[in-house]
Amino acid sequence: MAKVTVSFEWLSGCSGCELSIVDLHERLLSVLEQIDIVRLPILMDVKGYPKAALGIVTGALRTHHDVECAKKMRESCDAILAFGTCGVYGGPQGSGYAHAQSELADVAFVKNPTTSTHFVPSEGVPKLLEEGVLPLDAAIPVDLYLPGCPPHAYYVFEALKAVLGKKAPEFGEHNVCFHCDRHMKHTETKQLRRIHQGAVEKDTCFLSQGILCMGSATLDRCRGACPTRGMPCSGCTGPSEAIVLEPNRDIRTEIATRMSMMTKIPKDKITTEIEKQAKTYYAYAMASPVFRRKPTFLLRRWISQQGAAR
Amino acid sequence: MSRRLTIDPVTRIEGHAKVHIDIGDDGKIDAATLHVLEFRGFERFVQGMQAELMPTITTRICGTCPHAHHLVAAKCLDAMFSAPPPKAALLLRQILNCGSMIHSHAIHFFALAGPDLFIGQSSPVAKRNLIGLLEVAPDLAKKALRLRSIGQMLVEIVGGRGTHPVTAVAGGMSYALTAENRTTLKTLAAEALELAKVVLDAGKKALLKDPALLTRLPLATSDMGTVQGKVLDLYDGTLRVRKPDGTVALEFSAVDYAKHMVEEALPHSYGKQVLLKDSTGITQQYRVGPLARLNCAETTGTPLADAALAEFKATCGSPSRETVAAHWARLVELLHCAEKAVALLADDAVVSPEVRTAPGALQRRAVAHVEAPRGVLIHDYTVDANALIESANFVVATQHNIASINTSIKDAASKMLDKSDAELLDGVEFAIRCYDPCLSCSTHRVGQMPLEVSLWRGDKAVRTARR
Repeated sequence: MAKVTVSFEWLSGCSGCELSIVDLHERLLSVLEQIDIVRLPILMDVKGYPKAALGIVTGALRTHHDVECAKKMRESCDAILAFGTCGVYGGPQGSGYAHAQSELADVAFVKNPTTSTHFVPSEGVPKLLEEGVLPLDAAIPVDLYLPGCPPHAYYVFEALKAVLGKKAPEFGEHNVCFHCDRHMKHTETKQLRRIHQGAVEKDTCFLSQGILCMGSATLDRCRGACPTRGMPCSGCTGPSEAIVLEPNRDIRTEIATRMSMMTKIPKDKITTEIEKQAKTYYAYAMASPVFRRKPTFLLRRWISQQGAAR
Repeated sequence: MSRRLTIDPVTRIEGHAKVHIDIGDDGKIDAATLHVLEFRGFERFVQGMQAELMPTITTRICGTCPHAHHLVAAKCLDAMFSAPPPKAALLLRQILNCGSMIHSHAIHFFALAGPDLFIGQSSPVAKRNLIGLLEVAPDLAKKALRLRSIGQMLVEIVGGRGTHPVTAVAGGMSYALTAENRTTLKTLAAEALELAKVVLDAGKKALLKDPALLTRLPLATSDMGTVQGKVLDLYDGTLRVRKPDGTVALEFSAVDYAKHMVEEALPHSYGKQVLLKDSTGITQQYRVGPLARLNCAETTGTPLADAALAEFKATCGSPSRETVAAHWARLVELLHCAEKAVALLADDAVVSPEVRTAPGALQRRAVAHVEAPRGVLIHDYTVDANALIESANFVVATQHNIASINTSIKDAASKMLDKSDAELLDGVEFAIRCYDPCLSCSTHRVGQMPLEVSLWRGDKAVRTARR
């Protein structure tokens, strides 16, 4: 069987997605037997954009340079896979959506307390996009999406296997709770509390304990890594299928409904708390049109009301 | 007439960058600068987030050393919530640190620098990568991959995930180690130790094969690294600065970093450089990372690595000025981390269920540091009365080295100016990779690294080398 040619490009991201492919460990060698990597900037000296059957793009669009690179990938590849939460939803730097672009640069370069200079670099560096951060499909048509920050090796392997075999992957669209072994139960909890405020019961659902966990509103591409290790889900893969597909469903309403059913905390109190802490709870997918298109999603207003946009 | 040389993009480094070289009327190089093309804006957008999110959101600054951001943010939270972690948590965090250091050093040496050393710069560009290495030295490449995998597995078992770990929290860890997992970790650490010996030996031989290689890019700068007393420490301790003449110039706590360090933006780069400053405001460049750490410490605290350190110092000098020796230093540290992981796991306290201290009074400012694979990493937070982030500052390992990277590029290019484009490109990239720069990290703020060098005289490009 002829090898499938694969080309990689990385835009604004952290290189964690590239490493998640190396995290296939022993299975990496079997994948390498089936593919012919024609371009991989982190590991290879090949420059330019050779033709390939599959283009895997990690990272979000942050600069005009990123947009140019995305277009070159689209032109040179038959199919494009947006790999990782940044490419699919904008990722953590999408939180810049809450701010003007000049503000971000001001804090890093102009008004930084330990920086002696007071200008923003501008010579020969790519210009930042006026819109802030955009997911990959804002610039080019995308054929396949694999969110995750980064996606767990299980999903990477299954996804690659499916793509190489020209089939649909069989891993399903569960949310993070699918892999969590905590029990949901009714409690007398009246107060919301934060994870740093003391001990957490080991086998009980975070929501039952008054701790906000995004698991029930987040797609599983992590195998439940956080809730099975004592940490509530922070939503790093991005929204669950239900939230993506249905315009009237949102992270805050999903979580508030579920939590208020299990505890004595009123639903509106939970919704308000998530809105007030929107920067925390929408940290990974804020830049995505999935949310912006929802009629009730008023993120910029919530943040400015909270004064968090200081 | 002056000219300018551009390398765009530079490959096999972790992040996006290009190189500009300006050549003066006398035909000599005026300046060489690495342009970092990424900007992500973390300092601003974390403002208003809940402080307890910092250990997981800041890992996303860098996928290669996320654990370092994870741990330093957790250390800040320990201070912020007045909750010193119990012993078991400290042991677990150090195992996590060792695991990640093994992963990062192994992947750099074999995937990024290894092809230069084992395949050689005369072979075709398309073969000079990890896949080429698997063909030329399959046994060694597989060992290196296995070593990296083990490092990543240590992180996954202790940290919950390999890339972007999650378990370090204010006051300790969210997850205690089970007896079963300890057994697994012990087996993995023992295997890592055997592999690290083989890898150090192979790396050392490759570096010594060509006698001119090690001494190719000498550079005398001060070094900065973390020590406990005289001993290397990668998790916590005092920041020591050693001068090129070998004397210790300064020792200070990370809390006082702003007294001794200053960041400077560069017009052509999204990566800021960091310099040391004295009380009169005079600044100087210095280096961090494996070579700097071994130059600052007297011992590593583990026997096999100490023997390796003695051989390293005897061959490369003490302190060593050989930039290329950083590749060797990285492998001494690799051995040390494997040994240290074995030692940490031998302590029965590692499986104590007591992994977390309850929070005390809120401190509105918290500063901490950790040794990331590439050097000193500092986080600095201020919070409001509800523990929401008011301001955040990150000083990242590669930033400390930017001034020295530019010096080494200039040095490398000067020797290659009359050579072919291919040799020039290789020489410059080789110099950059000695520093193992990680640009997503040093910009924690936009990115791209393939390679084009253009030579400029004034505003006119007179030669462009590209591949």
